[in-house]
Amino acid sequence: MNAEFETHEHDVLIIGAGGAGLRAAIEALAQGASVGVVCKSLLGKAHTVMAEGGIAAAMGNVDSADNWRTHFRDTMQGGKFLNNWRMAQIHAQESSERVVELEQWGALFDRTEDGRILQRAFGGHTYKRLCHVGDRTGLEMIRTLQDRGVQMGFDVYMECTITRLLKDGDRIAGAFGYWRENGRFVVFKAKSVVLATGGIGKAWPITSNSWEYTGDGMALAYEVGAELMDMEFVQFHPTGMVWPPGVQGLLVTEAVRGEGGILRNRTGERFMERYDPKRMELSTRDVVARAIFTEVREGRGTEHGGAFLDISHKPAEYVKRKLPSMYHQFLELADVDITKSPMEVGPTCHYMMGGVRVEAETGASTIRGLFAAGEAAAGLHGANRLGGNSLSDLLVFGKRAGLAAAQHAKGQTTTPIDAAQIDQAEREMLAPFEHQTGESPHAVHGDLQQIMQSLVGIYRNEEDLKSALQSIGQLRDRIQNLTIGGSRMFNPGWHLCGDLTSMLTVSEAVTRSAIARRESRGAHSRLDYANLDAQSGKQNNIIVRRGSEMILRQEPIPAMPADLQAILDEGKGAGA
Amino acid sequence: MANRKSVIIKIRRQQTPEAEPHWEEFSLPWKPGMNVISSLMEIAENPVTRDSKQTTPITYDSNCLEEVCGSCAMLINGKARMACSALIDKLDQPVLLEPLSKFPIIRDLSVDRRVLFENLKRVKAWVPIDGTYDLGSGPRMTMHQQEAAYPLSRCISCCCCMEVCPQFNEHTNFVGAAAISQVRLFNTHPTGAALKRERLTALMGDGGIHECGYAQNCVEICPKDIPLTRSIAEVGGAVMKQAIGDLFRR
Repeated sequence: MNAEFETHEHDVLIIGAGGAGLRAAIEALAQGASVGVVCKSLLGKAHTVMAEGGIAAAMGNVDSADNWRTHFRDTMQGGKFLNNWRMAQIHAQESSERVVELEQWGALFDRTEDGRILQRAFGGHTYKRLCHVGDRTGLEMIRTLQDRGVQMGFDVYMECTITRLLKDGDRIAGAFGYWRENGRFVVFKAKSVVLATGGIGKAWPITSNSWEYTGDGMALAYEVGAELMDMEFVQFHPTGMVWPPGVQGLLVTEAVRGEGGILRNRTGERFMERYDPKRMELSTRDVVARAIFTEVREGRGTEHGGAFLDISHKPAEYVKRKLPSMYHQFLELADVDITKSPMEVGPTCHYMMGGVRVEAETGASTIRGLFAAGEAAAGLHGANRLGGNSLSDLLVFGKRAGLAAAQHAKGQTTTPIDAAQIDQAEREMLAPFEHQTGESPHAVHGDLQQIMQSLVGIYRNEEDLKSALQSIGQLRDRIQNLTIGGSRMFNPGWHLCGDLTSMLTVSEAVTRSAIARRESRGAHSRLDYANLDAQSGKQNNIIVRRGSEMILRQEPIPAMPADLQAILDEGKGAGA
Repeated sequence: MANRKSVIIKIRRQQTPEAEPHWEEFSLPWKPGMNVISSLMEIAENPVTRDSKQTTPITYDSNCLEEVCGSCAMLINGKARMACSALIDKLDQPVLLEPLSKFPIIRDLSVDRRVLFENLKRVKAWVPIDGTYDLGSGPRMTMHQQEAAYPLSRCISCCCCMEVCPQFNEHTNFVGAAAISQVRLFNTHPTGAALKRERLTALMGDGGIHECGYAQNCVEICPKDIPLTRSIAEVGGAVMKQAIGDLFRR
């Protein structure tokens, strides 16, 4: 069995080449470590490029009253105080420095009149705080980090998927994966591993996330015994495209409603009259999302499970002037002229607040030598993330994880690789070719997405969640019997077999955590427990593997130091 | 408007870098709003050719599906463009899909574009600051400067400009319009300008800016409307100025 596999060796192996992964790589390189970066897609194309809004940093360039304390308070308030307060503090204190540094490395930002970085307002931020480059800040970040990274010289393993982490006793020893293009297996020996794999959106049918977001990092960490945290907190944006299929999930900015867009159901009724007659379409995100969700659930949704969002009653020139990028994007990608016909929209799965439980200072997981940063890690955002806090998260904690991973590697001897673990990883991946009869992974994926959409979506209740948990259990049985035609040569069906294992793990973790949280807090909305519950607000849900069983336990949030508590208390008086 | 019943797609396939290419034809049921990438996904789920032969999924690159990542560049009806924004209804049928022709083929529609990274290294498209000193509040840059640089920073590294450039080939070693435009971007950047001289020097050497033949195809094809010919002209002028200056300095 144990054939000689292509093997690479690094001090630090980074899985994922988005903002967090690249920032970690640059930091580890600066420490003198040998660094390998593995990514599923091409270098420079990671999901971060799709980020639009900006990087939140309390630089005070526009609103000089801004400072890290206010940013800290805003982040905690947005997260409904479930955040890891130390992470929220570090993030607020260091994000400005990370932005300046990114600019020094060549990033271009929009300017104020006196030549400093311009900052714009965003939901939940007290002051104008988002440093941005038009509406494509993510691309700027990736381009700058990529240019720096390739010049500094890391080894990039593109179009490669990691399916297993390898351990030596209780410490991390490397990773096992395959080249997507030819299906050959590859082994990475590493003293430290940084997970920067992003989120889990592909477990839902309507998502703004790219195909890479299958929860790999969280599932990999879970399999080797690391803890996951806050998995119930999945952020949905109220308006994503549900049709046509080519643009499914694509975000429709709130500005469309702001400029007069009207929401209608299948019967043509302007249904917001029943949910918020005063504010109508300009109601808050959660109310709009809940209204669309309810219309669909009660059978008044559009053919493709959404609502119509129509701005065609406005003069075409007005729409083109006020919503240029929306107009352009819909014409180009969907052949929908929004000045003439309505969009079909519904809540779209957007961001995962939960993830690998990490130490605030270092991004260290509960497994020695394993680190996580960015969306794959939990803690900073608590129960809900503020816009702009994601890109800053990638820079602040990407750097910290890269530094800690390099330092950890310095104290380690080369790690031996256990042939038995590789054998097992190989067997798992080859199984779908050996089953003569069985199911297509596409069918199982479709079923998972339907379960997550209808039962573990934007609004939840105990009955649905329990039914989802049972169904996920059945899917786990079904994936034992997947079958796939063809060979290992670029075979998306085969890739999906592996991704399904990850998606089922994270889906189960989300569902179990959602059942355990009997309250509504931030992005977790329970129809059967509609209010905040003081006791639940004092604890995190922790997920860990015991044998083949997923265990959930609740842990109290450590007490906040008096100085940080004082910052939060100040805010109450100011009404910020 | 295309036939509303089915869509015919012809794809140039190549199993390995050395193998002989061949064509395969697929017929898909028409769906509203379908694009080239969604068609390739559909073929992957059921890889059967138009004449009912079982085949293998098509290898291709894609990621964001909203034309910001630059992964899915290919030749579509002979034109280099992004597949995610290529709507089937707007294309003549059969839709012909081929890999970019100037880059080594990996398989089918997937090509190796790492030469772009090599070229960015050649022209030193970065700012070598080690970050060990206090960064302060950062450099000043006027709105006007920023607005001038903004279009250059839209590059999505798709390599379409290199594909259509007659001078970008195995004989010239030409770095291509994307890298030259990045030189202009970095040279106008407040901290990037420190390496200005070295970047221009890099463009004087083998495969440098003198290889440009002014075909202007690059600016025509760029999906992000980057003013590439202006970049080449400006950087070319700067290279010339520096070269003449160097001459007198000897």
